[in-house]
Amino acid sequence: MADVLLEVKHVKKYFHTPKGLLHAVDDVSFSIERGKTLGVVGESGCGKSTTGRVVLRLLEPTEGSILMEGQNIAGLSESQMRSKRREMQMIFQDPLASLDPRKTVGQIIEEPLRIHNIISGTKERQNRVLELMETVGLARRYYSTYPHELDGGRRQRIGIARALSMNPKFIVCDEPVSALDVSIQAQILNLLEDLQKQMGLTYMFITHDLSVVHHFSDNIAVMYLGRIIEMAPSDELFAHPTHPYTQALLSAIPVPSLENRRERIILKGEITSPINLPKACRFASRCLYATERCFGEEPELTEIAPGHQVACFRQDKADAKTV
Amino acid sequence: MSEEKSYALEIEDLNVEYHVDREVVHALNGISFRLAKGETIGLVGETGAGKTTTGLSILRLIPSPPGVVKGTVKVRGEDISTLSEKQMEAIRGNVVSMIFQDPMTSLNPTKTVEYQIAEVIRLHEKCGKKEAAAKAGDMLEMVGIPRDRGREFPHQFSGGMKQRVVIAMALACSPEILIADEPTTALDVTIQAQVLDMIRELKRKYKMSMIMITHDLGIVAEICDTVAIVYAGRIVEYGTLEDIFNHTAHPYTAGLFGSLPNMEDRTQRLKPIPGLMPDPTNLPEGCAFSPRCPNASEKCRTQCPALTRVEGEHFVACHLFKEE
Repeated sequence: MADVLLEVKHVKKYFHTPKGLLHAVDDVSFSIERGKTLGVVGESGCGKSTTGRVVLRLLEPTEGSILMEGQNIAGLSESQMRSKRREMQMIFQDPLASLDPRKTVGQIIEEPLRIHNIISGTKERQNRVLELMETVGLARRYYSTYPHELDGGRRQRIGIARALSMNPKFIVCDEPVSALDVSIQAQILNLLEDLQKQMGLTYMFITHDLSVVHHFSDNIAVMYLGRIIEMAPSDELFAHPTHPYTQALLSAIPVPSLENRRERIILKGEITSPINLPKACRFASRCLYATERCFGEEPELTEIAPGHQVACFRQDKADAKTV
Repeated sequence: MSEEKSYALEIEDLNVEYHVDREVVHALNGISFRLAKGETIGLVGETGAGKTTTGLSILRLIPSPPGVVKGTVKVRGEDISTLSEKQMEAIRGNVVSMIFQDPMTSLNPTKTVEYQIAEVIRLHEKCGKKEAAAKAGDMLEMVGIPRDRGREFPHQFSGGMKQRVVIAMALACSPEILIADEPTTALDVTIQAQVLDMIRELKRKYKMSMIMITHDLGIVAEICDTVAIVYAGRIVEYGTLEDIFNHTAHPYTAGLFGSLPNMEDRTQRLKPIPGLMPDPTNLPEGCAFSPRCPNASEKCRTQCPALTRVEGEHFVACHLFKEE
């Protein structure tokens, strides 16, 4: 049996808006094995960040269960959740927005240690902070500097050190490298990879960058309008993208090479509103292969190969072709 | 560079400094390149390399003070530094247009989209309100937006559509040169594909010359003819797509490629460039890349290398290359 750390079952998150119910996350289920990375990709508004927040209960799920090592955290009280959060941390996209501008680097990393009463002695706490700074590659001399004095890459390292201070088992990384230049992006990705190996961390890696997600994840879930429409091991997804949306998404990546140029699938239109959704495939209006059925019925995720699930009616036909 | 071609734009030894407080920010340190008619050059580099400053200098939009601009920019063979502000206004939007990264900040939220496009047309062409509005409608259709949506305001459009509106505005007076500053960075990948496709189509149709400012080598591979890699306000490598992608000469260019995930083999570890871009108020002596360069020698730390020819149209500014 696989060692599953996190299992998310039928999670929904709806928001009430003046125009109606907004289905930000609509019946999403997945699981992540210990020490592995699940990449969650999709375009703006697909619900990937909301899913990340719901998993940590930074947003309350409307429905569904979130099992962390078998325990449903969706049912925990506020104070129980508080201690559970030590095991579940988050790294944010914009490090400057998520760091207190009035605190020094040392104070920022120390704060969770103090609040959660993990280390009581001041001296010991400081030593732990310096140790954490070394782990993430921040020089000691930055202990008393403020975040605004540092560049984006170092700020992101502070965010990582702060998340690590709790000795978490699970970290949600929400677009951790999107705001960084490529050379710095590679530094941070390598750091996250090393930390995972050293500490056996489990990641949920949320991003819109497909080449990064391919490199970084063991499994990938593709989201569209609040739903997972395809989920597969990383290489399998890139070798055999099956959902028409995944195919279009992968073909749209600009490849930094003059060889292996791919045929582009240009999608018509844009993501529609997640408010008052009709009972139909959410991608149907942009899909090249949509049939009448797609507009009247919503496809469920079904397994087409080991570990490879797709929510598309067309996939039955695709199967028939290959057989 | 060959002499027979006619150039839409020639930039020579462009230097831009900002005098702030007691410091001098060296934003551009001698940028030179020429853009042939109908061609697209990619300006590639990281944050603070001077890509956008180059674009703004071409339109003479660098605020002064604190900016100090030196060097020559020739548009259609004419040196723009000698032009009056009035003459400059006739060039902006009419001969040279620029698209910015964030479409929302370049649109007026209180005016309809049609009005904003028509405004550009009325400024540069002698025509009535009705005629300008009709032409604005044509422009919207050209970028794939139904003309009756012209009555709407920017907030009623999605990000991709707003960027199309900005492109329609930039192209309204059929400029000869288009400067696109990260035009798709704020967009989702499928929308980016739509916009890039459209830019490529328009470029072919109107035989525009274009400067594509980007950090994304994938976009460069798709759109550009020639590439200039910019580092700390200097061009460190210049060449055709083939030169840059398949015969990479500068260690910084090589570093940029090494930082990208390998799509063929996802387990291959990334090779980031160590360290950071130097502080533009305190550039290192010698080659600006030397503190991060794995092969820097004593000479690199003391003498700044000049752009030298590798082969044909391929140039590199690196001492190591000469020595080989």
